[in-house]
Amino acid sequence: MKIVVCVKQVPEVTNVQVNPVTGTLIREGVKSILNPFCEYALDHAVRLKKAYPDIEIIAITMGPPQARDVLLRSLELGADQAFLVCGREFAGADTWATALTLASAIRFAVPDFNLIFVGKQAIDGDTAQVGPEIAEILTLPQITYGVEAELVNNLRQIQVKCEIERGYEVIEAGLPALVTFSKGEVVRRVPTLKELIDSRSKPIHIVTPQNLAIPEGELGLKGSFTQVVKVFPPQEKKNGEVIQNVDAEVAARRIADFLEERKFI
Amino acid sequence: MHEIYSLSTYAISPDSVKCIQGYETIKAEYSAYLTDESKINSTPFDYLYFPRNEEELAAVIKDLHARKIPLTIAGARTGLVGGCVPQGGALVSLELFDAVEALYQNPFSGEWLLRVQTGVSLKTLDGMLRMKKFSNLEVSQDEFIQTELERFKNDQASYFYPPDPTEMSASLGGSVVTNASGARTYRYGPTRAWVRGIRVFLANGEYLDIPRGKYFASPAGRFTVYDTKGKSYSFTIPNYPLPRTKSTSGIFTAPQMDLIDLFIGSEGIFGIVTRVDVALMKREDKISIVQFVDSDEQAIDLTIALRDNPNLQMDFLEFYSTNALNLLRERQQREPSAVGMPMLPEDAKSAIFFEMSFDPRAEKMDFSELEKTIIQCGASIERSWIGYESRELDRFKVFRHLIPETVNEIIAERKKTYPGLHKLGTDLAVPDEHLRDMWKLYRDGCTKGNFEWLAFGHIGNNHLHINILPRDLKDQENGLDLYAAFAKKAVEFGGAVSAEHGVGKIKGKFFKLMYSDEQIDQMRQVKNALDPDGILNPGDIFGN
Repeated sequence: MKIVVCVKQVPEVTNVQVNPVTGTLIREGVKSILNPFCEYALDHAVRLKKAYPDIEIIAITMGPPQARDVLLRSLELGADQAFLVCGREFAGADTWATALTLASAIRFAVPDFNLIFVGKQAIDGDTAQVGPEIAEILTLPQITYGVEAELVNNLRQIQVKCEIERGYEVIEAGLPALVTFSKGEVVRRVPTLKELIDSRSKPIHIVTPQNLAIPEGELGLKGSFTQVVKVFPPQEKKNGEVIQNVDAEVAARRIADFLEERKFI
Repeated sequence: MHEIYSLSTYAISPDSVKCIQGYETIKAEYSAYLTDESKINSTPFDYLYFPRNEEELAAVIKDLHARKIPLTIAGARTGLVGGCVPQGGALVSLELFDAVEALYQNPFSGEWLLRVQTGVSLKTLDGMLRMKKFSNLEVSQDEFIQTELERFKNDQASYFYPPDPTEMSASLGGSVVTNASGARTYRYGPTRAWVRGIRVFLANGEYLDIPRGKYFASPAGRFTVYDTKGKSYSFTIPNYPLPRTKSTSGIFTAPQMDLIDLFIGSEGIFGIVTRVDVALMKREDKISIVQFVDSDEQAIDLTIALRDNPNLQMDFLEFYSTNALNLLRERQQREPSAVGMPMLPEDAKSAIFFEMSFDPRAEKMDFSELEKTIIQCGASIERSWIGYESRELDRFKVFRHLIPETVNEIIAERKKTYPGLHKLGTDLAVPDEHLRDMWKLYRDGCTKGNFEWLAFGHIGNNHLHINILPRDLKDQENGLDLYAAFAKKAVEFGGAVSAEHGVGKIKGKFFKLMYSDEQIDQMRQVKNALDPDGILNPGDIFGN
């Protein structure tokens, strides 16, 4: 059985800064990490593999060459092999073009997949659209916001406990299927030194635009129905005085002094 | 040069300095200032000052000096030995000394330095360096400061201040006058190694600017200070040997020592440090590794093997004893989210936690030397945890702090039944060759005494924190006796009774195990020369 896990590289912090002149994200000093929700998806794949060791886990990402880092991380955490979908033509893709590319790459690289696991959303874009779009493109049943997954009915179906507004529901789907994962009770996995060393001999394959047989006009920015016209931080309020790294009592005292000086109290 | 001239600030009236008068008012409205993390109680004191700058501080010192009122200095009050808990007189808080004054590069060594007032917390300092954002400097009109700031920002490398004494809310000043250390002292040395200059106010209200490498004791071990009124005073530095371990027990001394080292780690009994020039280091990618092993003894074997391997450079080596891991296991079962780590391996009986430089992008990852060392000690790399992203390093750090945190919670609970109860935590260090001996003493002593205990801490520096959790007051008394016996033995081994917490008002008893009356007298003579009326930090180090 093959489980494909789609992963994404995101900035480590959510409060990224934007260059006010160019409107682009300031990347200096901000490291990239594996999107936590993708990590939860991978974790569920690894749990299933523990129960069914024949399962092969394949991590896949679309991104620039440096996105290889999240594939390395996925391999450390338990993926068996990885695919980097990489090429200038993919740049600027919106959620649709990303989903189309990933769906095609999965069809190309892992045509015999049984399950696709994705994080419910990325912590940078927060759209939560790519997973469901991949399912639509590949005409797969999809289950979203999963927190627990189990293979049932002689491995022909997946049963997923999903978050709903006021609790959970359990949904089953026949394979192949796509599941998006939320956080749930997962404590993020920590690899062993052995897993780290072994990960560096696992293969990372490159998938290029030429492998996908999609017209160039449907890739990247050209294939996107939506475009990010401008990125800007919310209007900054005037800086107040911030009191931090001191005892609560000292902080309270300083606030009281501040208010007293201004005759508020 | 062993002669130095003190300088005077512009004189202002002490009346302009914010001062809370009267013990009752202080107790009612500023109770946080009555103690520090040692939780010992102050004796009533009459004044609580908040000077905003050096002129105000000088005015306060001169005024108190004239009135023979002793003063205790407080930074962030995170110390564990009551150093800034006043014993009468006045408490002077330096919390408003929170500006960064300059950032500059040594043109000869290429080293970047930050000149900071001593009220800045280590956490704030770290945040500023990570973001390369220094609000004070950004608005400066000084052309030199602006040029250096721009050069620093354009430097592709990221920099950090290496001393990491665990408690990041500590003030920089506090960490300098206590020569704070911590896990990373193993590789980078204590705070002393990173201080390149200080400004220190003396008991007469005048100050000395002491860059490292300018003022050295004469061959006879003398220093002479001249003040602005033409008076001079001289003193001889102590001549005892220092322990061959990290130590915050007593005054630093060395033949022809640098004057700056006399003040670093002196717990503020000679002067008040108001600003420090600290050296920065290029930040490297790191990997944290927790290696689980089969016994505490195997952990010690592994420590020694890692330490002795010239091809392995660890930033720190930390220890979790069997009973420390058990404590974490219990907590993990009770509150998995508080621990934030996967379940501890069931068969893990002890662990060593270390960090080293690491390139996650390297094509070939060569851990063969490390792997070989671990296997030779009978452990397996399949029973380990690794992390290298900064959020992972933070997670490991939180995990490390969980032991003392959990111990404190247990003690707080027991305190409800026995209000006088407190944790007994050792802070002893011994030279490398006595690590095994000292561990045997700890283990046998605690087991024989039927104590509830655990061990963790800086095993790379042979500096373990043995924590005894007394069940009642009798247990506590017995534990104290055992602690004294451990301290005596550590001194016999050539170690230190206080490796990182300092002496303050709590460890005088142990301090006297380490130094003879004559040696303590040598320290007192320095104190008497620099602070003849004994107004600075009364009760610290020498007791009352």
